[in-house]
Amino acid sequence: MYNIKRISIFIFAVVAIALVAGSFMGEDIISRAIIIGIGIDGSDEGVRLTAEIVSPASSGEQIGTFSKTISANGKSIATAISRIAELTGKEASLGRCLVIIFGQEYYENKDLSDDIDYLISSDSFKESSTICCVEGSAEDFLNNSAAMSQGVSLALSTMFTSQARQTALATNTLLDFTLSQRGLLKTGFMNQVKFVSSDNVNTQEPDKSQGYFDLRNIAIFGDNKYMCMLTDEEIRGFALLNNDVTGSSFVTDVDGKQLTVTINSKDIKFDLQQGNVIKCEINLQGREAHTDSGEVEGQFVAQNKKELPQAAIDDIIAQATAQINSLLDKQRQYNFDIVNLHETIRRRDGTSEQLNNLPTADIDVEAVVKFNEK
Amino acid sequence: MEKDKISINQFALMYLLLIAGGKFLKLPSMLAADVGHDSWLTLCFSFLWDAICLTFLLWAIRINKDSQLDISAILNNTVSKAVAKIILIIFFVMFVVRNNILLASCYKMFAVTFDVSTNWIVYIIPVVALSVLTLKLGFNSVARASQLLFGIIFICVIVLIASPLSQVDFGYVLPIGEAGWGKIVSTSFLRSFWFTDYVFIYLLLDNVKVKKHVFSPVLTAFAIGAFVTIAMNAMFVALYGDLAPQFDLAMSKIGVHFVSKSSNGRWDWLTLSIWLISVFIKIVVFFICSYKCLEKIFEFNVNKLNIWAIGAITALFMLPIFLPIEIALSTVVAYGLIPFAIVQYALPIAMPFLTKAAQAKLNLGNTLTDSIKSAKRFARKAKENASV
Repeated sequence: MYNIKRISIFIFAVVAIALVAGSFMGEDIISRAIIIGIGIDGSDEGVRLTAEIVSPASSGEQIGTFSKTISANGKSIATAISRIAELTGKEASLGRCLVIIFGQEYYENKDLSDDIDYLISSDSFKESSTICCVEGSAEDFLNNSAAMSQGVSLALSTMFTSQARQTALATNTLLDFTLSQRGLLKTGFMNQVKFVSSDNVNTQEPDKSQGYFDLRNIAIFGDNKYMCMLTDEEIRGFALLNNDVTGSSFVTDVDGKQLTVTINSKDIKFDLQQGNVIKCEINLQGREAHTDSGEVEGQFVAQNKKELPQAAIDDIIAQATAQINSLLDKQRQYNFDIVNLHETIRRRDGTSEQLNNLPTADIDVEAVVKFNEK
Repeated sequence: MEKDKISINQFALMYLLLIAGGKFLKLPSMLAADVGHDSWLTLCFSFLWDAICLTFLLWAIRINKDSQLDISAILNNTVSKAVAKIILIIFFVMFVVRNNILLASCYKMFAVTFDVSTNWIVYIIPVVALSVLTLKLGFNSVARASQLLFGIIFICVIVLIASPLSQVDFGYVLPIGEAGWGKIVSTSFLRSFWFTDYVFIYLLLDNVKVKKHVFSPVLTAFAIGAFVTIAMNAMFVALYGDLAPQFDLAMSKIGVHFVSKSSNGRWDWLTLSIWLISVFIKIVVFFICSYKCLEKIFEFNVNKLNIWAIGAITALFMLPIFLPIEIALSTVVAYGLIPFAIVQYALPIAMPFLTKAAQAKLNLGNTLTDSIKSAKRFARKAKENASV
């Protein structure tokens, strides 16, 4: 009797689980379209989304990472993504998206708030994805190929996350950009990327443009709307005031001899004084560039024989000061803040409506540059 | 019962694993919504109250070392049987509610972080099955499992929290106390439901093997767990700033920065999966505690598993199918704030005195039957000590 009871309970449990489990629809990875980059342009309907997709089933026995691009229109990013899922027959998976790219006509003329809100609100979307804008349309951009035949998203992502910091180029993530547009003065930046064509060596895709990506432009955004572009001088100034990047270089002429000096580390201090006066002390460390291999960074580098004459050091300081002041002047002119002047005040005084609306021109910044050869 | 016996070191280790739980998932976003970047300060105050109450509770365990009275015996002989049952009912509700919150958070994590969707019943059944098995094997099995898994889980927690360190600017938590100290302290009380994870020890008061040290292992584990939790919270608000309130899977979001330097893979999924084991251990522990509450309220036969009690708890786990979890739980937590605070904070402080009073009362009202029972209890303990 006891065994019958046990068996009955067991059968009941198995049947119950089988019935209930029937409603569970698993999703095989093969049925997913893994999106590694998205490009956003305008369209008559609203948005034209181009997705660079890696699909496991399509790689076959080929070596390497292969991707395809597919574009779809929609009223919003969400509907465009649904359309892409319809076109591919696979569920779009955004958890591996590395890059978000806005097309030129789109970012120059539209308010990006809804798009940014949609992306940042998605639980599965990586906030550490790189965000940038491009010259021309994002769709054309993503349909190119990197010079080494990589997909655009992977190549760009590697450049932004690894190489940019060592070549004095500040980059931004979706999270940092969103925070910059929501807090304090609500201004921030995005890198503008240009595609530079080169010879196409990919015999498998002879019609696809191949080339390099020039990341050296920066676009300023305020409240998710485009404001202006930085000049090369201002970009250098921005790099000097950014703790996350190194590799700034200076060319100086001393006694007819040209010297190139690379900055391999720096220390930036913002000292808030009475009122809204900020004393910014930038301590640069660098040495003459001898090879084109990366210099060792950081504070704990071995001491080398000092080679730079004082005149060269003075010239470097003057150049650095000019570049920094150039950026600060641009900030005052257009009323934006990408070097955290408002944040410096907030850390002492707290958040307030007054600080949120404080014009950058009302913040006095005294930049003092020092150079130490190391 | 022998199968429920745990040592003080096992308790300490388990407590360290259990401290995280919801505090690494939903709580950081709730605190960020309340007090902004000062949420880590709220945690500091909450853990301070916890430390004080835990000290009193450990004192009670020390007093109870020889008499090994359970919570029912202590409360029945001090505050009366009726009050004891009310307290146990409050404990039961607290354990069930906390479990539902944990289950819902894990469910969401599987859906949004790992992209695995399932229905609630299929998700709950294995959890209940594991809990029932653990109930059958005894609390000692959970303690031993925690000991075995502690190393790998703790390493994963440290890796997850330490990996985004280079990207965090802790200056974003300045100025300290901007939300107002009054609001920070009051928030620590309003969110007290999320703390006092040590409450599970109430159901094991008669099963804690105390040899030498009571305070140092447990308080050390508590200090480490509190530090890691506060650090994680500070990092979360420093990373996400004004966006922190909208992300209610904090640990998952921190894990995203784990791979920001790498174009390939989601290594955070591996460490998150391992860390989630500690959340499921917590769910199992609270399930056992809920069962034991029912056992003491209705005075079941402790030697047999009561299928009705298990069914009742499982049925309560099905509530999210019918009610939105956030609304249901916030209502219960809002109305239950005072009763929960009494059992979480007032009761531990009173426990040493209640234990002493119960011991004294039992000695005074000792009948022949009680003498025989006491003698048997001491003989059993002597046998255990001899075998050790």
